[in-house]
Amino acid sequence: MVAAGWLGFLGFWALMTSIIGEVRLPSPISVGKEMWQIVSSGVFFGDFAASILKVLYGFLFSIVLGTGIGYLMGRSRYWKAFFQDPVMASGSIPGLTYAVMALVIFGIALWGPVLSVTLVSIPYIALNVAEGLEGVDTHLLQMSEVFRRKPRAVARHVLFPSMLPFVFAGVRLSFALAWKVEQLTEVFGSSKGVGFRIRESFQRFSVRGVLAWVLLFIIFMIIVERVVLVRLERRLFRWRTVGTEFS
Amino acid sequence: MTVDTASLGSARKTGGPWRTVWKVVSSPRAARPAAYLAAFLGWMLLAALRPRVPTPWKVFEFLWIELTGGSHGGVLKGQWAHHVAITMERFGIGLVISFVIGLAVGVLIGSSRYAHALLNDTLMVFLALPAIIWAFITVIWFGLGNQAPVWTTVLTAFPFVSVNIVHGVQAITPDLRMMSHSFGVSSYRRLRHLILPAITGYVFAGLRFAVIVGWNGVLLAEWFGSADGVGWRTRYWYDAARYQGFVGWVLLFLVIIILIDRWILAPMERRAFRWRDVHRDKITIQERPEALGAA
Repeated sequence: MVAAGWLGFLGFWALMTSIIGEVRLPSPISVGKEMWQIVSSGVFFGDFAASILKVLYGFLFSIVLGTGIGYLMGRSRYWKAFFQDPVMASGSIPGLTYAVMALVIFGIALWGPVLSVTLVSIPYIALNVAEGLEGVDTHLLQMSEVFRRKPRAVARHVLFPSMLPFVFAGVRLSFALAWKVEQLTEVFGSSKGVGFRIRESFQRFSVRGVLAWVLLFIIFMIIVERVVLVRLERRLFRWRTVGTEFS
Repeated sequence: MTVDTASLGSARKTGGPWRTVWKVVSSPRAARPAAYLAAFLGWMLLAALRPRVPTPWKVFEFLWIELTGGSHGGVLKGQWAHHVAITMERFGIGLVISFVIGLAVGVLIGSSRYAHALLNDTLMVFLALPAIIWAFITVIWFGLGNQAPVWTTVLTAFPFVSVNIVHGVQAITPDLRMMSHSFGVSSYRRLRHLILPAITGYVFAGLRFAVIVGWNGVLLAEWFGSADGVGWRTRYWYDAARYQGFVGWVLLFLVIIILIDRWILAPMERRAFRWRDVHRDKITIQERPEALGAA
């Protein structure tokens, strides 16, 4: 099945190339060669490291802020109403807006893309955390009250573990969107990173370069998602499988 | 709750009229205006901290001049209607094409197992490609003009329509399909009364994504390869380093997308769902978080 899918994709691409011409749409083979050259010449690593670092910083900020906002939204009706419109609005704003706004605020610096990743991911994490908190087992909360647990202990042992899966779901949901916006911000203004390379290829009118860079990045992001995020999820939720053994 | 009760407690001590004031201010109803106020104050704070961020007053002054057709200190007269009309035309044509392509591809992949095996991954790649890539490639292909924005809209929006329709077609209950088959229902009636009503919800969800994503695409293509339109105008003020103009146009294109959603998509959706239970909740973004955003 998987092989058929990739065969279908490459076949479709090759067909398109033969219809509209090698100059306009380079064939999979020539883009593959370009990708290999980017990787083997070592240009790849510096730019990838720069882009990934920005995505990572953005996620760290959005996890902190998004969890905070989500916590307020899940625990208080006032804050839920307060954040309703901003969270919805920030979800339907075109990515272009984040990219150029970040550029106006920070200029060509590391923090522009970080800001756009943060802003894009916050609504997902906040909404998920809020939803997760509303689903916290009320019996557990009542029990901790009965047994006079300190609020900190309740947060640490009841709220935090039940929020974590939702934070994680938020991260995974926003991941695809976050790296796109990060690229876009780099396209608009940066001196390093994959987005910068894509822009450079565009200025040379090289479709081959644009495709090679973006496909490399997509492949990389798929690997990150499948390998890193899934592993992390398994590690973070080990306690769950332990729990089910007793039940 | 924690926040509310804590602050209410402190207000209770002071008592008197302040207590009623506090009660009004801290009620969930007051939260919305408070959010807008906070956003506005945040903007002013940002403008005070970063020299390149224009103050709200400057932006509103700019918008007033631009919208009433005044002159910006002899630079360029406001011709907003012209640019908005051009962009809407490109966006509209692009959306129609992407809807047709998206519907065809979606029904094909959703109803045939072979097509699904061969083409679904290709669709996923299209879904993963950022709009900027299409903007760049179409600008290289077609140069400046109408074609690049139209085709960018098509290429960014149609995968979202398709994916939703694939889900919709696959979600049709097999029982109904088999029943209509054994009772010899004609294929036209099957399409009209079974398939179309069943996928309507998915079609609209797809259309919503398509509008949000396509709007982003058309603006990007205009930004990088056009000599008119909303995207170009926004870039014009950005390149001229007159950020009040830039922020003003960003606000304008946000207002446009909100109006499209409220005045065109929402009524269409209501019309298409007349047959269904009126009280049934609409699909909200919370339920379908993938509806959020468009890069």
